[in-house]
Amino acid sequence: MDNVSIDVYPNEFLALVGSSGSGKSTLLNLVAGLDSPTSGRIEFEGVNLDAYSRRELAVYRAHKVGMVFQSFNLVHHRTALENVELAMYFNGVPRNERKDRAAAMLETLGLKERMSHRPSDLSGGEQQRVAIARALVKRPVVLFADEPTGNLDQDNSRQIVALLRQLSLEGLTVVVVTHDVELAKQHAGRIIKMHYGKIVDADSIAGVQ
Amino acid sequence: MKLYDSLSISGGNLTRLKLRTSLTIAGVVIAIATFVAMLSFGAGNEEYIEEQFEKLGLFYTVQVYPIAPDPEKDTIPPRLLDKAVLEELSKLPGVRLAYPYESFTATATFGDSIFESRAQALSQQALRTKMFSEIRAGRLLSSDSCHEAIVSSRFLTTVGMLEPDSVLNDTLILKVRISSVDSGLARILPPDREYVRKRLREIAFDSLLHRPYTERLLRSELNNAMSQFLKGYMQAPDIVLETLMVVGVLNSSGPQERNIASVIVSDAVGRRLSAGVFSGDPTEMMAALASGQMFLSSDQGDARTFGHVTLDIDPKVLITPIMDSVKAKGFRPFSFAEQFEEMKKFFLYFDLALAVVGIIALVTASLGIINTMVMSVLERRREIGVLKSLGADERDIKFLFLTESAVIGLAGSILGILVGWIITRVASEVAQMFMAKEGIHGFDPFALPIWLIVAALALGLSVSLIAGHYPASRAARVDPVEALRNE
Repeated sequence: MDNVSIDVYPNEFLALVGSSGSGKSTLLNLVAGLDSPTSGRIEFEGVNLDAYSRRELAVYRAHKVGMVFQSFNLVHHRTALENVELAMYFNGVPRNERKDRAAAMLETLGLKERMSHRPSDLSGGEQQRVAIARALVKRPVVLFADEPTGNLDQDNSRQIVALLRQLSLEGLTVVVVTHDVELAKQHAGRIIKMHYGKIVDADSIAGVQ
Repeated sequence: MKLYDSLSISGGNLTRLKLRTSLTIAGVVIAIATFVAMLSFGAGNEEYIEEQFEKLGLFYTVQVYPIAPDPEKDTIPPRLLDKAVLEELSKLPGVRLAYPYESFTATATFGDSIFESRAQALSQQALRTKMFSEIRAGRLLSSDSCHEAIVSSRFLTTVGMLEPDSVLNDTLILKVRISSVDSGLARILPPDREYVRKRLREIAFDSLLHRPYTERLLRSELNNAMSQFLKGYMQAPDIVLETLMVVGVLNSSGPQERNIASVIVSDAVGRRLSAGVFSGDPTEMMAALASGQMFLSSDQGDARTFGHVTLDIDPKVLITPIMDSVKAKGFRPFSFAEQFEEMKKFFLYFDLALAVVGIIALVTASLGIINTMVMSVLERRREIGVLKSLGADERDIKFLFLTESAVIGLAGSILGILVGWIITRVASEVAQMFMAKEGIHGFDPFALPIWLIVAALALGLSVSLIAGHYPASRAARVDPVEALRNE
């Protein structure tokens, strides 16, 4: 990363676009608290993440951040419901509430009938929705999605992006990393274009707002 | 992360890989079973001996022995255990009873068997102490003068009868030869004067002044006299017979063994059979000669000395002051309680030696745990990354893998204790079958005390946690960015 400075505002739907190797995923890992910068600072709600200990950084990930990945990263030997429940092991949700909240979230995302299925029995789109349910069930402040449509066909991609946009409209801050500029233009409120670790085009307003 | 959550995740992973988990647990099971079976043997023996000591009242028994004379150091001979000393000892505070061990060798005739047997006389009071409480069949003697006998398990083995009941109410004849000093002296002091004249004629008086000749002559005369004395002593024809009815069988195998002879008779019968009579056994004869007892006449019964005296102590009283008093009186006390303490030390070393075998097996099993857990970490890198992205920190991940390791250790320990217990039960049945043939009953050489169960659980758990430490630390160090990178 080289001289990258961006602000993400509450409730906005921000898309980070750029070709492979442009640094957009690295940027996402940094702001999600999975990685630490060698220099520079990342602030969340006015607090520098650098000031956090490893434990505090984990608490930040558990409470404030939801993450969605290109390859879904579901635990393959657990059912959809158990995968969603897993997100609540680390943020203090009481044990007896977890199942109900996970089931409700999956039902909201249209997966009521697929709860007891393992990821291998689900389609790509369904797996990504389970992953989104897992990210949302924690009730995060911001959702980071790294190439959420990268492994999906066109129809499923459209559905997932529409879902993310809907979540943004409902008040969730969504940051999406994608190389699909067209998709970003259709749904994101703001697009930042990156190239070789630098921002080459910031604050471009997408077509749909 | 809470323990329940960690157990829930760990349990899922372990049950998913059933074969691998089962094989790893099997390693721990074998190790813990070995550990339990080995230590159970030590514990069983220790428990049995303690039980025997308790049952026979040995913790409250002190035996008193005379101090062996040391001609180089002693200026006055050490005290002997006689009736007066017995009286003194019985009056010591806390001593409930002091009784002597009076034994003699008699020829026993039982059915068709005729054999030399060790017999002892015991008073009613002595017989009522715990030492003689292990009656296998029948009852104790009815009085201090009855013509009854109690035989020991050793006696049963000698006559080849396994069932204690089978000897009850049968007749036992005890026969002793009266070998008195008089009959020995009669040989060297013949009333016939001619014998003396004959001997005198044989001596070359002219040579008496020659010292070596005189010495040889005296030595030869002394040897001749001694040989004559022993011949007279050994060939004494007088015999005392006692016909007794066997009324009970006493267990003599165990720590009380040396205090119980093959045959126990009443005080009166014992006195008749042993008064003024000495065994033809050369060792006993020499002992009687050395103690001077041989030259006491039979009517000096009160002056007889005993091999040892047993003190039956009140359980509420401390043994140490009694031991000190015995020492102060010039005797050597022997406490079974002290002997038991020594035995406990031995058992500790014995247990440690046995435990080493189990621990070696456990170290081998721990390698299995390490292998399983390292495999698990390598296979679940992505899952670890996901958990970290969901908010797990290094401690959570470490805790998660340590829990898995502990579950393997705990499951292996519980099953290992069970398997170990089954092994000991089978071994115990086999051992008891063989011991019954030897006339040993009620001895279970294996025991599973609570401390052993706790120790096995603690050891299994500790070893699994130690074994899981490296894989868990490795899991905790997994970089989530690397782990979640798209393949």
